[in-house]
Amino acid sequence: MTSFLHDLIATFPAFTRAAWMTLQITGISLGLALVIGLIFALMKVSGLKSLGIVYNGYVGIIRGTPLIVQIMWLYFGITHFVVLSAFWAGTIALAIHSGAYIAEIFRGCIQSVDRGQMEAAQSLGMKRGLAMRRIILPQAFKRAIPPMGNQFIIGLKDSSLVAFIGITEIFSLSMDNAAVTFKQLEFYTIAGLYYLAMVALFTYVLSRLEHRMDTAK
Amino acid sequence: MITVSNLHKYFGELHVLKGVDLEVRPQEVVVLIGASGSGKSTLLRCLNFLELKDEGSIVIDGQEIDPATTPLNKVRENVGMVFQHFNLFPHMTVLENVIEAPVHVKHIPKAEAIEQARQLLDKVGLSNKGDVYPEKLSGGQKQRVAIARALAMEPSAMLFDEPTSALDPELVGEVLEVMKGLAADGMTMVVVTHEMGFAREVADRVVFLDGGTIAEQGPPGTFFSNPQHPKARQFLSRVL
Repeated sequence: MTSFLHDLIATFPAFTRAAWMTLQITGISLGLALVIGLIFALMKVSGLKSLGIVYNGYVGIIRGTPLIVQIMWLYFGITHFVVLSAFWAGTIALAIHSGAYIAEIFRGCIQSVDRGQMEAAQSLGMKRGLAMRRIILPQAFKRAIPPMGNQFIIGLKDSSLVAFIGITEIFSLSMDNAAVTFKQLEFYTIAGLYYLAMVALFTYVLSRLEHRMDTAK
Repeated sequence: MITVSNLHKYFGELHVLKGVDLEVRPQEVVVLIGASGSGKSTLLRCLNFLELKDEGSIVIDGQEIDPATTPLNKVRENVGMVFQHFNLFPHMTVLENVIEAPVHVKHIPKAEAIEQARQLLDKVGLSNKGDVYPEKLSGGQKQRVAIARALAMEPSAMLFDEPTSALDPELVGEVLEVMKGLAADGMTMVVVTHEMGFAREVADRVVFLDGGTIAEQGPPGTFFSNPQHPKARQFLSRVL
């Protein structure tokens, strides 16, 4: 136990830097994923058949293949054509991946808003776009918070897979330490603790946000 | 004001409206009645293009409305609608509900819209409810807010789709009172309702639909005391 604590403390500076990398990849990829998800969800609910087909193709392919395959595909595939750092290849792969799930969350929440809301908005002279922005989306976003929180937690933990394209973040740092010291159990436990701490912090922020949305209506 | 000619509407195979002709004059209160499935709500929704006609023509204020070429939002600005289930915007306060369309559709200054909204809320007896959210209101209060919200666009006609059907019986009266007030002010109204008392008292004309056509129409006095069409007699014997 004392040796474990010693390892934990000794590697703290390195893991803090690695955790910062994990947070950057997660933050940027989820930010992009929100934009991608919203755009695709709006395409799906637009009622235009061609856009619906694009949506089905995107969500179908992304949900149908493993994230690690998508990361490898982007890292080794795209880099044939453009210069892309491992950081951006990994971040973009994560964004495209989470985007598909987030699109499904937005689509479901938009479609769960009662039809009468759109009818009432239109009966007041609002165009569909205005009604979507002013009436439907605010209600859909509120409903999206709990499933979105879930998806963000998954996104944070999924970022560990970019370890396999050589980015130094929490998981790859524990792999390296485990390989050098042969203390596999200890260092993967340390990795787990860092993820656990970040998820706990995020969950707390999320619950505060939900609480605030509830009291502010 | 509103002229409907030979209106047909299908829902898939179902032929819901089978050639309806209806004329609504300015300041007239027309009440549509009929059994469920007779097409009265569909007819009303066609007047606001929430359902699109399959055949026939709809002329509003002298202009024939072709959904393919006319911007429907412009037409709807001028025709208010009140729904059975209120459809208030739950994420906005009562006042925000009322000013939403004036501010974001008509682009009138917010202060002016608020001033007007306060007068409308006063008119429907809810001047003290501006800052509450719809979920805190009773059904009757919600429907009165919905009426104020529609009036805020200063429409030249109002459509009511069973405005009291979702209300507890003791709350029906307060909504009907507001509607009577509107009629007295000279608002052009088309009302789908099961409230025969309201039809008798307020309507200028009662239109009875059966099986997607207008079976009989006339002033309420004549219609209720001496219905001609057998289906109308049957219907009235059940509801009166």
